[in-house]
Amino acid sequence: MILSRRHVLWSGMALLALPRSAGPAWADDEGPIDIVMHGNVDGSHVWFDPVGIAILPGRTVRWTNRDPGNAHTATSYHPDNFQHPLRIPKDATPWNSDYLLPDESFSVVLAVEGVYDYFCIPHEHAGMVGRIVVGRPGSIPKENVSSAQPQGTKPIPEAAAHGFPSVEEIVQQGTIRRT
Amino acid sequence: MSLRFATAAAAFAALTLPAFAADQVEKAPPSGPYKKVSELVKLPDFLPGLGQLYVDPKTLPAGPFLAYDHNGRLVSTIYMLPLDDLSNKDKKFDDLASPGGKVDHVSVSYNAGHPGVEKPHTHVVLWHVAKPEEARVAK
Repeated sequence: MILSRRHVLWSGMALLALPRSAGPAWADDEGPIDIVMHGNVDGSHVWFDPVGIAILPGRTVRWTNRDPGNAHTATSYHPDNFQHPLRIPKDATPWNSDYLLPDESFSVVLAVEGVYDYFCIPHEHAGMVGRIVVGRPGSIPKENVSSAQPQGTKPIPEAAAHGFPSVEEIVQQGTIRRT
Repeated sequence: MSLRFATAAAAFAALTLPAFAADQVEKAPPSGPYKKVSELVKLPDFLPGLGQLYVDPKTLPAGPFLAYDHNGRLVSTIYMLPLDDLSNKDKKFDDLASPGGKVDHVSVSYNAGHPGVEKPHTHVVLWHVAKPEEARVAK
């Protein structure tokens, strides 16, 4: 059985009906949710840590570059960002951190419930992408799970398309880490 | 060989050599068209493992990039070759020069990308120093 991305995402959305205790990242802390940009010494591998996370609406997400030898961005998938496809809720505000040098940070507040996909501009082709699921368990409106490839937008590089953890994983585990 | 022919040959050679052959590159900053990479794109001034880089913007993305240690001494010449180009049968990289002179050894490694060369590519590093001296740019 071949599932479309929308179908897979919607299968995952059903999991949001799980009890709040099912996912450790439905955090109640008031501080920012930290996502770190990493790279190995020779620049052959780069990644967001965590690569997937589930948070409550209204939380601040903060990206910090901890890669001493490279610059990174946190850039939402949105037509306003270099004609990339819309992969955040349609009513959400797109963001682009621009290049962050080592130890620089960038923050956004994610208030609209849904699934947010983002990428690093110089490393999208190397698969440096991340996903944030924003919502209260069971409450994410289906129109905020975007997956279509609108006309006029750039296709996602293969490495990036394979870099997103599934919504199911994120909802079940709360935080997804890869190194 | 007549004197006239020798003079003509020398003049021809001078005209056809790469422009950077006459540039001072041993110490940073190099003379000629080279610009500091961190002033062209948003990158750290000193890249661990590579050093402080200079490049002639006209030669991007391949380079050559000149890499210097913390004391401004040349350690390597680097070419950055996009993987897309390396797998393109119609693309060639011929006559890549070594403006830094004698090459001690060569390292080739994959790089995921960075500002200036935003796609996965290969770093071809022509080291002008012995292997133990690579430590000069390690951090």
